[in-house]
Amino acid sequence: MSTLSFHFSKETPPDSLFSDMQTLNKFQDEQFSELAQFVFEFLTDPTKSTKLMSQLEDFAGQNGVSPGALKNVFKSLLSVPNSALKKSLTPEQIKEDLVNLGLGESKADNFSELWKVNLVSLSRSALGQTLMVNQLVDMEWKFGVTASSSELDKVGNTFLQLKLVINTGNGVKNSYMELTLPQFYSFLHEMEKAKASLEYLS
Amino acid sequence: MDSRASSKELVHKTCQEAFLYRDRRKVPDNVVTNIATQYGIKVDEAKKLLISLGALLKTAVFQGSTDPADLVGLFPSNFHKNMRDLLAKIMIENMSTWKLQAVNNQVSLPRMVDFDWRVDIKTSSDAIARMSVPTCILQMTVQDNPARVDTVPDMSSINVELSKETLDTMLDGLSKIRDQLSSVANR
Repeated sequence: MSTLSFHFSKETPPDSLFSDMQTLNKFQDEQFSELAQFVFEFLTDPTKSTKLMSQLEDFAGQNGVSPGALKNVFKSLLSVPNSALKKSLTPEQIKEDLVNLGLGESKADNFSELWKVNLVSLSRSALGQTLMVNQLVDMEWKFGVTASSSELDKVGNTFLQLKLVINTGNGVKNSYMELTLPQFYSFLHEMEKAKASLEYLS
Repeated sequence: MDSRASSKELVHKTCQEAFLYRDRRKVPDNVVTNIATQYGIKVDEAKKLLISLGALLKTAVFQGSTDPADLVGLFPSNFHKNMRDLLAKIMIENMSTWKLQAVNNQVSLPRMVDFDWRVDIKTSSDAIARMSVPTCILQMTVQDNPARVDTVPDMSSINVELSKETLDTMLDGLSKIRDQLSSVANR
């Protein structure tokens, strides 16, 4: 078996993965399909791990299997699409891998079908999780006219104040700043240029 | 006041200095001694001269009028007439510059001084081996409020990364501001 090559991993997968696939083969196709659904739900939104845990416990209760063992098997099943996502595998490639790992043909078919359906939302969610440094979270603004100050009786200057909420990685930071009108127009103009450039590239 | 002033240029120079140091508790010593020697007066008198002239100019700029009649009204009635006219003339000449300086120095939130941006394309990450996602990095230089009156305020940089969606949202906000501004201007 060690001579087989896989798309999702360069190295030979651990023996436990092969034995877990054999365990999965013991499930009915419908049961497997339910588990596969859990896999994709979790991959699309990895923050919902508690939901996954309760789903698995319910599943274990309904089908009379031990929750602990089910979780281990599930972890193996999850590891394949998880690595496959990083390498953007096609449905055919993932089916080939699953069959080579020892999963039954019909189950592998079912899984690759789900992979095809979910691929777009999966890669979108993975892109969303890509590291962002100092991400801008929110912007608030106000503008007005200075009527008078301690220095000048009549002023009449337009000001614009911005509050930027930035996610620095260790907490959210607020930054305040004041812009004059010419600065604002040049800022707007430059940001439109940046947008045009982003649109050209995407 | 400074009726002993020898030349118009000297008065011009003194006015600039008085306006520059109008809000300082303590004027640098060399400026004061310089004025004392130029006018041939004592250091204490020079200090007084700078303070009263500064207060006068500050009041004139606050009122902001360039009408000679208004400016003449600022002086006591027994003030030396030629000196009064000379000072009023200097005030009129410098009013726009001084006003601009006063506006620039007025109290404010930290001011934005400059900004730069760059657009990158992310080609690979720990989540996906191959991708092509453009992203925008924006750096803003902001002048903080100075901790001391006599020091140059610190500049700080704010860096943010904007995804395409964030930039779109931000531009929506900015366009809204522009629309509001132009509707105010049209009123």
